[in-house]
Amino acid sequence: MTAAVEMLGIRKVFPGVVANDNVDLSVEEGEIHALIGENGAGKSTLMNVLFGLHHPEAGAIKIRGNEVHIRKNADAIALGIGMVHQKFKLVPSFTVAENITLGSEPRHRGVFTDRKAVHDSVMEISQRFGLQISPDARIQDLPVGVQQRVEILKALYRQADILILDEPTAVLTPKETRDLFGVIRSLVANGKTVIFITHKLREVMEISDRVTAMRDGKVVGVTKTSETNPTQLARMMVGRDVLLRVTKTPAQPKDVVLQVRDLQVFDDRNLKAVRGVSFDVRAGEIVGVAGVEGNGQRELVEAIVGLRPAWGGEIKVKAKNLTTLNVRQRREVGVSCVPEDRYVRGVALPASIEDNLIVSNYFKPPIAQGPLLKPDVIARHAQEMIETFDVRTPSKDVPAYALSGGNLQKVVLARELSAQPDLFIAAQPTRGLDIGSIEFVHRQIVNARDRGAAVLLVSAELEEIMSLSDRIVVLYEGKIMGTIEGARATEEGLGLWMAGITEATPEVAGSPEVARQLVAH
Amino acid sequence: MDFSGLLDILQRYVFNIANLQGMLRLATPVVLAGLCALITSRAGILNIAGEGMILFGAWFGVAGSYFFRSAWMGLLAAMLSGLVVGGLFALFSLKFRAHIIIMGIAINIFANSATIFLTREVFGVAGAFSDPNIAGLPPIEIPILKDIPVLGPLLSGYTFIVYLAWILVALTYIFLYRTPWGLHLRAVGENPQAAETLGINVQRVRFGAVMASGVFASLAGVYLSLGHLQMFTEQMAAGRGFIGMAVNTFGGGEPVGVFFSSLLFGIVETIGWRLQGERIMPVYFISMLPYLATLLALTVFTLRKQQAKKAALERAAHEA
Repeated sequence: MTAAVEMLGIRKVFPGVVANDNVDLSVEEGEIHALIGENGAGKSTLMNVLFGLHHPEAGAIKIRGNEVHIRKNADAIALGIGMVHQKFKLVPSFTVAENITLGSEPRHRGVFTDRKAVHDSVMEISQRFGLQISPDARIQDLPVGVQQRVEILKALYRQADILILDEPTAVLTPKETRDLFGVIRSLVANGKTVIFITHKLREVMEISDRVTAMRDGKVVGVTKTSETNPTQLARMMVGRDVLLRVTKTPAQPKDVVLQVRDLQVFDDRNLKAVRGVSFDVRAGEIVGVAGVEGNGQRELVEAIVGLRPAWGGEIKVKAKNLTTLNVRQRREVGVSCVPEDRYVRGVALPASIEDNLIVSNYFKPPIAQGPLLKPDVIARHAQEMIETFDVRTPSKDVPAYALSGGNLQKVVLARELSAQPDLFIAAQPTRGLDIGSIEFVHRQIVNARDRGAAVLLVSAELEEIMSLSDRIVVLYEGKIMGTIEGARATEEGLGLWMAGITEATPEVAGSPEVARQLVAH
Repeated sequence: MDFSGLLDILQRYVFNIANLQGMLRLATPVVLAGLCALITSRAGILNIAGEGMILFGAWFGVAGSYFFRSAWMGLLAAMLSGLVVGGLFALFSLKFRAHIIIMGIAINIFANSATIFLTREVFGVAGAFSDPNIAGLPPIEIPILKDIPVLGPLLSGYTFIVYLAWILVALTYIFLYRTPWGLHLRAVGENPQAAETLGINVQRVRFGAVMASGVFASLAGVYLSLGHLQMFTEQMAAGRGFIGMAVNTFGGGEPVGVFFSSLLFGIVETIGWRLQGERIMPVYFISMLPYLATLLALTVFTLRKQQAKKAALERAAHEA
């Protein structure tokens, strides 16, 4: 059997980093091959090389046994390689059919777009592979799972035999993920080869035939899925044993700190993103907000911290109404927040670590004295924070952009937690971090709770929500679908709520058996 | 109130054939400047160099016509200048990555000084150059149509470029919505990464858009210098490159929208000319009118958009 794809000795260097160091990858015809590794391990770089978006410094690529030179994107497409990127590359105002045929649309008399042929060929291909789609719908009106289907059809329309899926499940509900897996299996049954990039080990076990693991730009292991297990894969990815579970004592909830009542918030497109949400968070407990991204989590957090006006309802912290206060006033009340986009709202990238650590309190003693800053106090503060939070940095004076994602997040945590908040909000706190940093962040969140803070954790990662939360609320289309104790929650049950299935009562959500039956319907 | 008096004034100053003809004439360079802004903005490029491109078009139109004794050669020379200036703009801003706004300002300033310099060096005059040897574009009488009352005088008898502008509006629409290249251009403007991963050469599409914008602008220029009076005057673009950008915004980036918002500009300018003859207002105030109207139109447009947004917001709030 010849390999569908063979990459030999690929080397790719970015300024200061060796992203791929002598990497070999071999993918058999008709298999589902998982490519795993932490962020920055070089998975995406390797696939971008295969797809012609990066040019390697060294190495060779063979497709079905023939050596090829992929100089540009179009070369890869011509060789039958298709890629579904993590961030979809679709034109929102175009229709499904226009997006699928864009760049190689059927023509009419050589000059005009043959709109009937566009429509028909999309229908044909969607039927052939059993991927249902309405060709005339506009992308901007479609849910994420369907948009992803359009991306897959785009590759199939260009006669791709080898499909690269870059972290395809990151944006999907559990239900959509199952649908996607069905699609992948039918593609393989139709003779396609699939390369599946992920860092979710459970998915690797479920869908793949073989696994290649990468770490620090190198391949650290290739194995058959049937001959391995999640613990072994995690060790391969990280290079040491990893605690996949967080250790914490049972919560000791005390007084209510955050009280949200019938909150209504609009998003940037002026659509209602939060539609009448009510919940409490007590001191000493972690409340997890689960849900597929884009179901109002961002707007909820922004409304609480004061970055977005509340259209209706009430937000109280320690019985004090926040809705008329500005951001700084809310922080003075005792709110602090790790924002979901650390590069935009978490830190000022060109500013030094030292400066980033004081942006929340530069205006008051002991950092400031009247209108003047006190450099020696600031320096001592920075040094202290760097040590306490184990920020790996050459010095406190380097700009924030010089740090890795994990260390950057430690800077944000240091600033936000050093204020000793009564309400600590962590939005997607471990997104894009490696397993080592995730461990650290999780420990800090639990520590904050044990110190007596009320913690609101917002995350799209179900595992994170389930392992940290004492109570879980699930948001779906801006409403709370259900609330359940952390210990009683199951992935299936939460998944139902995340997909907006209302029959799921807390009892159902707590019972995997019933939940499975519901999903089967 | 005496409404008959008002009607009389309206008829006298606004709704008569002569005024509507004036509107169509004066709208023509604005339509072309609008298309110049449209084709680049739809490709995702902020092109503020229209003003300079118009000026070059006007100068080379006169020069071509004067030296070859043919208006058509003038037209050709102007279009070539549009291609060259557009090409330079694209080369520096797209390929060499010069800042696109700075580059646009540079082209505008350069066009201004270069045409003044060239007028003095080549024609030996300052300020304005006119000469009986400059051939103007002849009016085109459309057979049959010209004999129909009202419609005839309204639609027949303009110079070639007026009709060309109308045709170009239609062609731009067909190009954008009925051809693969138009699809590519819109995709490049809306999500360049999407276009790129499908093997569309984003750089090439944008290059083409800028070249086309150069040609549109140069046609606006020729119309200014050869359309009526055969002369070149320093700074004769008089802000039309920027009005074109306003008209493009006002017209929602759509060819037909650009056409009708240009007519609005045309009618205000025509009324301005009429009022100048009446000596009821200071001349400078009147010549300010078209620009004031543009400003006003844009403000109203923006306000209404905001109101619509607010209304949608309240509806959504009501629904939920």
